[in-house]
Amino acid sequence: MRRVTLLSLGSLLIPFAVAAQQVAPTAPHDSVRGAIRAVDTSARTLEVTAGVGFAIRVVRLQVPPAVPITDRKGTQGAPINLAELKPGDVIRVSFGSRPTGFVAYTIERIGSMEAGVP
Amino acid sequence: MRRPWIALVAMCSAASCRPPQLGDPLRGLSAAERAEFDTGLAIFDSTFTPQVGLGPLFNASGCGECHEDPVTGANGDEVEHHAAVFDPERTGAMCDLLADQGGPVFQDSVTPALHAALGIDREPRPPVATVVAERSTPDIFGFGLLDAVPDSVILSYADPNDTNHDGISGRPNRFFDGRLGRFGRKALVPALREFNDGAFQIEIGITNPSVPEEGTVGGDSLPAGTDPASEPEIGARALVLTDAYVRLLAPPAPLKQSGEARRGSDIFARVGCTGCHVPTLRTGDNPIPALSHKEVAAYTDLLLHDMGPDLADICFGLATPSEFRTEPLMGLRHATQFLHDGRAKTPEQAVELHGGEGARARDLFKTLPAADRAALLAFLKTL
Repeated sequence: MRRVTLLSLGSLLIPFAVAAQQVAPTAPHDSVRGAIRAVDTSARTLEVTAGVGFAIRVVRLQVPPAVPITDRKGTQGAPINLAELKPGDVIRVSFGSRPTGFVAYTIERIGSMEAGVP
Repeated sequence: MRRPWIALVAMCSAASCRPPQLGDPLRGLSAAERAEFDTGLAIFDSTFTPQVGLGPLFNASGCGECHEDPVTGANGDEVEHHAAVFDPERTGAMCDLLADQGGPVFQDSVTPALHAALGIDREPRPPVATVVAERSTPDIFGFGLLDAVPDSVILSYADPNDTNHDGISGRPNRFFDGRLGRFGRKALVPALREFNDGAFQIEIGITNPSVPEEGTVGGDSLPAGTDPASEPEIGARALVLTDAYVRLLAPPAPLKQSGEARRGSDIFARVGCTGCHVPTLRTGDNPIPALSHKEVAAYTDLLLHDMGPDLADICFGLATPSEFRTEPLMGLRHATQFLHDGRAKTPEQAVELHGGEGARARDLFKTLPAADRAALLAFLKTL
């Protein structure tokens, strides 16, 4: 009887749990706008320097091959490769947290430290 | 004809028409702005303890501990230490501000709990740092007006390639997100609010909604149990009020100039000091009327200038080791030490230590007749 109750309860809860998995974001979202500190094209990682005043931090990101990377030049944002990003470029990244670290969702190059951001 | 004057004198009570005193707020604040200024001053003058969030790494236990002499908001005799790695071969990233090791500010004090855990008395300087620089405490009077100067005004003075061949080639620094910088001795930080929010965490170890995480010890997380206060250690309202206090501090009113000082002002321009120390900047539109469309006699262009190898220390953003932002001269008469690290003890020494883009003006100053040098220095003492 007890097993039946638990199974019944389970059958009631499982559809909700599945639905919750389907609508919940896969990871918390965050975003950062900062300057590229380092690019490793073979490991597909980026380091971005950002901060508030003198409170400066580095955000390390994995960049899976499918992540869209664009350059703001042009109205739509032209697609570019990870290898085209270089230290000093100013980028805006949306990313999420995974057990392995931060993973980029989108990357947009919006300018450079030297020239500024239009 | 006499009556309007009488009325004006009656309106000008001693309190409202006397020149602003050091530490006073800007004139023309609303009652609400004045209340925020007063409450912000109380926070600025607060002393934090480890129980409410101080540290575990810190340079001071409150803003007013350093910005204190002769009144809150003024200079201080404290010197702090900044470090960076400069590698001119690394195109686009020649300046590493050690962000992965806690950033460029290395705190000189620790709480008893951190000392007990790690046995350190200050944050260790990283061996990779190419230079450790000293930074004196500047006054912060009139900084709200500097914040209100439009980028376009600052950029109008930039001449990075010295196209006018005057030997002065100011160029902008930029923050990591590409915005124009203006605060800090190397003009890295774009906005006063951000400077203030960051300073709570960097200087006092007080986390806040803008900087919610504690600093590290050279990049390593704090040992468990060394930070008893929960994050953030102050709230958004405290940031707003502290910012209001700093933003609304009036610049020191220049003194009435004697004939000698007026002559010195002319000489100051003639020898080329005003090439960088631009006498006035004008603010733009601002939601605070007391900051909107005002002239500020700041004597700076807020740009970077090469000051020569003898003054060079660390890089900072785009600033090379020898580049510094033109130091504002407003309030100079209240200073007791000069230049970014306080190495000059008089304005005259500071002038004589100028190099690079300042060398020409320095050399002209040195060749002036004694009376003209005295006049120029008399002028500086009115600022």
